[in-house]
Amino acid sequence: MSAAIVIENLYKTYPVPLAGLLRFLRRSTKRPTEALRGVSFKIEAGEIFGLIGRNGAGKTTLVKTIATLIRPTAGRVLVHGYDTVRDEERVRALIGLATAEERSFYWRLTVEQNLLFFARLYGLPERAARRRVAELLDQFELSDQTRRRFAELSSGNRQRLAVARAMLNSPPVLLLDEPTRSLDPVAAASMRAMIAAAARENGATVLLTSHNLHEIEELCARIAIISRGRIVALDAPQALRARHRQTERVSLTIRNLTRHEAIEALAGFIPTLESAERDGIVELRFLRAPEDEALDRALRNLYARGATIIDCQTEKATLLDVLESYD
Amino acid sequence: MFSKAMTNLLILSRRVRAFVARDFRLAISYRMEFSLRILSVLLVVTTLFFIAKIFGGRSDVALAAWHDPLAAWITGLAVLNYFMTGFSSLANAVRVEQAQGTLESVLMTPIDIPTLVIASSAWDFVQATFFSFLYLFFGWILFDVHFRGSFPLAALFLILTTLVLASLGILSASFAMVFKRGDPFGVLLGTGSALFSGVFFPTEFLGEFRAISRVLPPTYGLAGIRQVLIEGKGLNEVKEPLLTLAVFLAVLLPFSLWVFGRAIRRAKREGSLVQY
Repeated sequence: MSAAIVIENLYKTYPVPLAGLLRFLRRSTKRPTEALRGVSFKIEAGEIFGLIGRNGAGKTTLVKTIATLIRPTAGRVLVHGYDTVRDEERVRALIGLATAEERSFYWRLTVEQNLLFFARLYGLPERAARRRVAELLDQFELSDQTRRRFAELSSGNRQRLAVARAMLNSPPVLLLDEPTRSLDPVAAASMRAMIAAAARENGATVLLTSHNLHEIEELCARIAIISRGRIVALDAPQALRARHRQTERVSLTIRNLTRHEAIEALAGFIPTLESAERDGIVELRFLRAPEDEALDRALRNLYARGATIIDCQTEKATLLDVLESYD
Repeated sequence: MFSKAMTNLLILSRRVRAFVARDFRLAISYRMEFSLRILSVLLVVTTLFFIAKIFGGRSDVALAAWHDPLAAWITGLAVLNYFMTGFSSLANAVRVEQAQGTLESVLMTPIDIPTLVIASSAWDFVQATFFSFLYLFFGWILFDVHFRGSFPLAALFLILTTLVLASLGILSASFAMVFKRGDPFGVLLGTGSALFSGVFFPTEFLGEFRAISRVLPPTYGLAGIRQVLIEGKGLNEVKEPLLTLAVFLAVLLPFSLWVFGRAIRRAKREGSLVQY
């Protein structure tokens, strides 16, 4: 697999407007904002890559820098080998960007008119533009909204239209900045399916940012965590969780055994056992290393002594735990 | 090479058409505005007709230098409308796109700067052509104002002056891109041209301030168009204003495109493309 996006030692510092003039006038100025500090990573072609971080961590700056909308202070970004500063136009032809910014459409134009306008800017011939717009409206379940003005759409439909627009020229790279932010759970699931299909069927590389960690985990093969402008972790979701917490907590609820009998059944191989009994129901809690044999052995021993297992839960580290640990 | 040039031209025409179609649809979504602008042109021309009557038969009035004040005013307004479109349309387009938040979406498409400049202004020029024609049409049909002379030569003046003003407009748009508001070009050229370029009265009236009119491109454009359309002068007699405009254009157009490119880069450096 070759890299679709290569980010090398990227820095972005937002300058204070007219800072030179203010200094000349001996007026105090704000400190420049360091939004990205030495960011480096690669995204492979066809990969769905997640970027998570708190508000203000640098996610949107990074996405917009890849999209050529923000110029880096230092470092570089290559999209399929083209530099986002030197080969700006070529990069833009390779990228589709969808943000959660509702103001990026013409509110008095209809859904179809908006998409046709942008399709023509991508240089699509008239017939091809109309065909592509119809396809996307169908794919994003917006066909019944074709003649409605953008202003009349629900937030969810606006969001879908933004993603549809990003796919107008079937770009090999999709940058999706919080694509499900305003969607209800059903619509969000449908959007996730569309994103996965885009990557699978068209071989598109997707960079996805979201505050919905479940969504990131469901879609992305790898995740980068960005905090205060730096990439603080980058790995597969399971690996990130495992790195964060070496053990997981197991909770078993049983009946037909006393608390004492249950402790005896698990004695010797579970050193961290906690237990409680109420109304003939016994609660057992212990720690184990992920995927070790302690749980299997515990269940077998309890069954052997005649226990009925009412409930079994394992509590793993979540991406939220991981994210919080880096802040 | 020829086929590549043709392809580029085709893509340019698609993009210009996209902007014209978009702006036309946005314009017709405000139905009343268009009709009221037509009414406004009619009322202005009618008002000028009655003001011109005040000067009728008064040979001592200095305005008589214009021979037919109504024709001079109508031509002045029609042409000024066109010039100001050249000057202000791109800056307005940038401000509107920034305020709407659509500038980033447009700049995300593989559109180059000259195309953006031409396409953003295209609909304004379609409108300006219509309303400028309307001034002349109302003057001719309602108040018997006749124009003679070479229309192609007048059109050459119009195009040259509009391009010069468009170059200044690109500088104005660059200012809007970076500083968002408070554009000095708009104040100096917008209001300055009406006062100093001979739209409503001959520049001879300005006395010692006439020097200002000499550095304003619309002065040459207006003088040339009036000499051609109203006085019927030919190419040899209007060579001087024509050459002056050509020099303005040769200097200002490349310079303004360079500045506009720098302004976009600066806005991207500051991350302020959608701020207004």
